[in-house]
Amino acid sequence: MIRLQPQAATLPDQPAVGHTVRSMDAAIDVQHLNAYYGTKQVVRDVTFVARQRAVTAIIGPSGSGKSTVLRSLNRMLEVVPSARIEGKILFHGIDIYGRDIDPAAVRRTIGMVFQQPNPFPTMSIYDNVVAAARFNGLVKGRAQSDELLERCLRQAALWDEVKDSLGKSGASLSGGQQQRLCIARALAVNPEAILMDEPCSALDPIATLQIEQLARDLAQTYAIVIVTHNMQQAARASDDTVFMSVDEQRAGYVVETGPTSQIFTNPTNKTTEDYITGRFG
Amino acid sequence: MLLLCLAAGAIALLPLVLVLFYLLSEGLKAWSPAFLVSPPGGGVTTKGGGALNAIVGTLEMTGLGLAIAAPLGLAVALYVAEYREGRMAVVVRTAVDLVAGIPSIVIGLFVYSIVVVTMGHFSGYAGAIALSLIMLPIIARTSEEMFKIVPRQLREGTMALAMPRWRAIVSVYIPTVATGIVTGIVLAVSRAIGETAPLLFTALGSSFVVTDMNRPMSALPLYMFQNALNIGFPAAVQRAWAAALTLVAIVLLFNVLGRWLASRMLLKGR
Repeated sequence: MIRLQPQAATLPDQPAVGHTVRSMDAAIDVQHLNAYYGTKQVVRDVTFVARQRAVTAIIGPSGSGKSTVLRSLNRMLEVVPSARIEGKILFHGIDIYGRDIDPAAVRRTIGMVFQQPNPFPTMSIYDNVVAAARFNGLVKGRAQSDELLERCLRQAALWDEVKDSLGKSGASLSGGQQQRLCIARALAVNPEAILMDEPCSALDPIATLQIEQLARDLAQTYAIVIVTHNMQQAARASDDTVFMSVDEQRAGYVVETGPTSQIFTNPTNKTTEDYITGRFG
Repeated sequence: MLLLCLAAGAIALLPLVLVLFYLLSEGLKAWSPAFLVSPPGGGVTTKGGGALNAIVGTLEMTGLGLAIAAPLGLAVALYVAEYREGRMAVVVRTAVDLVAGIPSIVIGLFVYSIVVVTMGHFSGYAGAIALSLIMLPIIARTSEEMFKIVPRQLREGTMALAMPRWRAIVSVYIPTVATGIVTGIVLAVSRAIGETAPLLFTALGSSFVVTDMNRPMSALPLYMFQNALNIGFPAAVQRAWAAALTLVAIVLLFNVLGRWLASRMLLKGR
């Protein structure tokens, strides 16, 4: 199994990419990404960088291809039979679509949290967290499992709420707790980055704030990419913002990327400004 | 319109009520706890004697048939629904549908020519194989439908965690739809347990209480058939009714057991 880690010896020569100087702390480096469902192009020429230990928000109106871009970052897109991508996605310099890269290794390294909390309904809270790690051979025996469980639930800010009911079904929790359980579950397989696909769209405002805070905290350790169409959320929780849009002629494309503070206070593009001030979208 | 629908509902319900009513009123005449535990006795004209031979035969053959059909049916369903790569899945699925459409007496004949002729004698094994062929397509099709309704979100969840597919199937998909799979199995057993035709040339029937499946065996439907042939001899016909009542009771019991089992599987880990 290939562990996606930069190894000096195997690092491919990085082609100089024209328009930006790529900082060394790039975790995910998306270059000229095009995505299609069948013959329909849904994402056109998307290029951006998600930094290590930072929250990158992808914002934009519905249909601008945000989720498609996100799902191509850990090869979850190819699960859809008609989906196809072109372009390059590097994770710490390694092409995740490279020929000898195992998609399962990519997904283990780059975890994902979905729009609808999806804990495994027939598993206990305990098993929800540790099952995948056990199946992947990351932990053995009760003691290691217990340790992993507590670490992940603490990281996901859920430990105190569930530590006395670990045997209960994952489905018995509230929506926000379920989503944090899913985050704990994703952390348990030792990822280096976590993708969040509108993780709060099914949650109430308080649970939403908890998840945002959690994303901030996790960014101390991981690269976080979060798709949202809640602008306040992007403004509150992210360091960098990728603004995508769509119009009649073009599939989803990137209008502007940059530090969140700059995008929200001083956008260089008129479309961005209109979107952020609520004039469309 | 509402009245019409009500009337239609009542008409649909009528046969069920009548069958149950007749079953109880006729069956109870000859039925007693002794009927369940006594070997056959009593002639065509005399009352008495039980159906222990038939009950043992039914339980053994249906049990073994299920033990063959359930894992096989589940495996076929998994292949068709989860590992559907290639043309083979379509072929397998069509074949299963075809088997489901074969009249049960033809299945009996088939097993006769393959198993009975080869072994040289009728046997409980042959009967069990015939019954398993009745159950297999039902279990395969209902389980396949169940795997199809595993929510996409759960599938994505297992994939995003890089769970090997077989682990996802065993630990997530099957438990999630266990109730449906068990319902399919109960349905298949209910159907097979009442089959007479496939047993006629396979298990043949026997008036002795036989536990060795290598010998000809009786079964409740066969017992009913053989007793009910004696029209005009109330003692025999009543034994047939009592056997019918017993059969329905076993099916009912199995239904309850299945549901209880399914709910237990769901609660596990809660």
